[in-house]
Amino acid sequence: MRQKLKRSLLSLLSDGLFHSGTALGHTLGVSRSAVWKEMQALSAAGLEVHAVTGRGYRLAHPVETLDKEAIRATLSKPAQRLLGKVEILDDTDSTNLYLMRQAACGAPGGTACLAEQQHAGRGRHGRTWVSPPGGNIYLSLLWRFTAGPGTLGGASLAVAVAVMRALHAAGLPIGPKGAGLKWPNDVLWQGRKLAGILLDMAGESSGPCHLVAGVGLNVVMPAPAAQMIDQPWVDMRTLLDPPPSRNLLAGLLLQHLLLALHEFQRYGLAPFMAEWKQLDLIAGKRVALNLAGRNINGLAQGVADDGALKLLVNGATQRYYSGEVSVRELT
Amino acid sequence: MDIRKVKKLIELLEESGIAEIEIKEGEESVRISRHGQGAPQVAMHTVHTPPTNGVPAAPVEAALPAEPAGHTVNAPMVGTFYQFAAPGTPPFVVLGQTVNVGDTLCVIEAMKIMNQIESDKAGVVKTMLVENGQPVEYGQPLYVIE
Repeated sequence: MRQKLKRSLLSLLSDGLFHSGTALGHTLGVSRSAVWKEMQALSAAGLEVHAVTGRGYRLAHPVETLDKEAIRATLSKPAQRLLGKVEILDDTDSTNLYLMRQAACGAPGGTACLAEQQHAGRGRHGRTWVSPPGGNIYLSLLWRFTAGPGTLGGASLAVAVAVMRALHAAGLPIGPKGAGLKWPNDVLWQGRKLAGILLDMAGESSGPCHLVAGVGLNVVMPAPAAQMIDQPWVDMRTLLDPPPSRNLLAGLLLQHLLLALHEFQRYGLAPFMAEWKQLDLIAGKRVALNLAGRNINGLAQGVADDGALKLLVNGATQRYYSGEVSVRELT
Repeated sequence: MDIRKVKKLIELLEESGIAEIEIKEGEESVRISRHGQGAPQVAMHTVHTPPTNGVPAAPVEAALPAEPAGHTVNAPMVGTFYQFAAPGTPPFVVLGQTVNVGDTLCVIEAMKIMNQIESDKAGVVKTMLVENGQPVEYGQPLYVIE
């Protein structure tokens, strides 16, 4: 019930105009204090709300609420065929965790989930992905493989290329003068994080297994929530004027994720390698790889066929599968 | 002696080029020696305190293989081992816990894929062979389930 109320409130306020608490309550069939309580909750979650005595509430930025049909309509026919059920949630812990739970209950591959906000959005181990309501995209897609998880590491990079394809289709410049990728899948704009990708996988070591690919894209980051981000960041609103429609962006992301996972399942990482090379922000640079608290310094040499990071360390090329890369020399 | 300690000692020996190492801990001692280029050999001794009735007890000698005994769950990929879903949350499993086939034991992170590693055997978690946050190799034993 509260979930529904929050969503209805967001819809009513999506025009960016003032609405009085009484009028909102009347439309939604709840008391003025119930409206006040919900607005407090939205504000606490990081949404920028203007509350003015005598005038009511207004969102600092108009919000385009997520719409299942609008998202579906942007997909090409081949992508639509790959897509299963789409769920749009008002609030969840994380769309990845939600889909992993659905997967454990037998949800088929191709099931997708979006949320207006996440209260436990995750980044790389232990980090949080700041996920306020009001305009960003939190999207996850479930895929099932007959193979075991050991051979599927490259999916992480394939998903990163898919996200870049979607951003490019939305009008964002990519490549040397635009957005690029830092191994394994950070989407950066001039050193600032634009989108984060995290994948969850479970299953038997010899297969079958299932994968949930999660994408968090900063579209319109509300100022109060931005203060909680612990790294340099940027959102689509800053990069593109006017910013693309949120439902269009969600549709493009879903479209390219569906096609990329389908392609990866058949052919592995090979079809993505040429694009990865063009988007690789660290190849040829001196980097430090932080692995279990130790720094390994080397020269980045691109990625191996299986998605591993190739580093030239003490004259020998080594492959790495985990750890956090930082660039030591900016060229 | 804790199997993890023995494993650490073997790694130490392999890295160092030392030919032989012996550690005494209370009544237990372990000697690991390297012959030629082969894998290190382990000999573990437990010296029992003689019973008070005066009957002398023979020292028990047992040779341990380098691989841990019992059923091991091995890493299906190279990556970083995590025993928690996230810091501040309880571990997936603790020593002595009974697990079923399919229960999640840990997570191995590789290229930002959080791989939930499931138990392929029902039983009791006897030993955890890797520390939280450490890198693991393909096929490396993670847990002993009995």
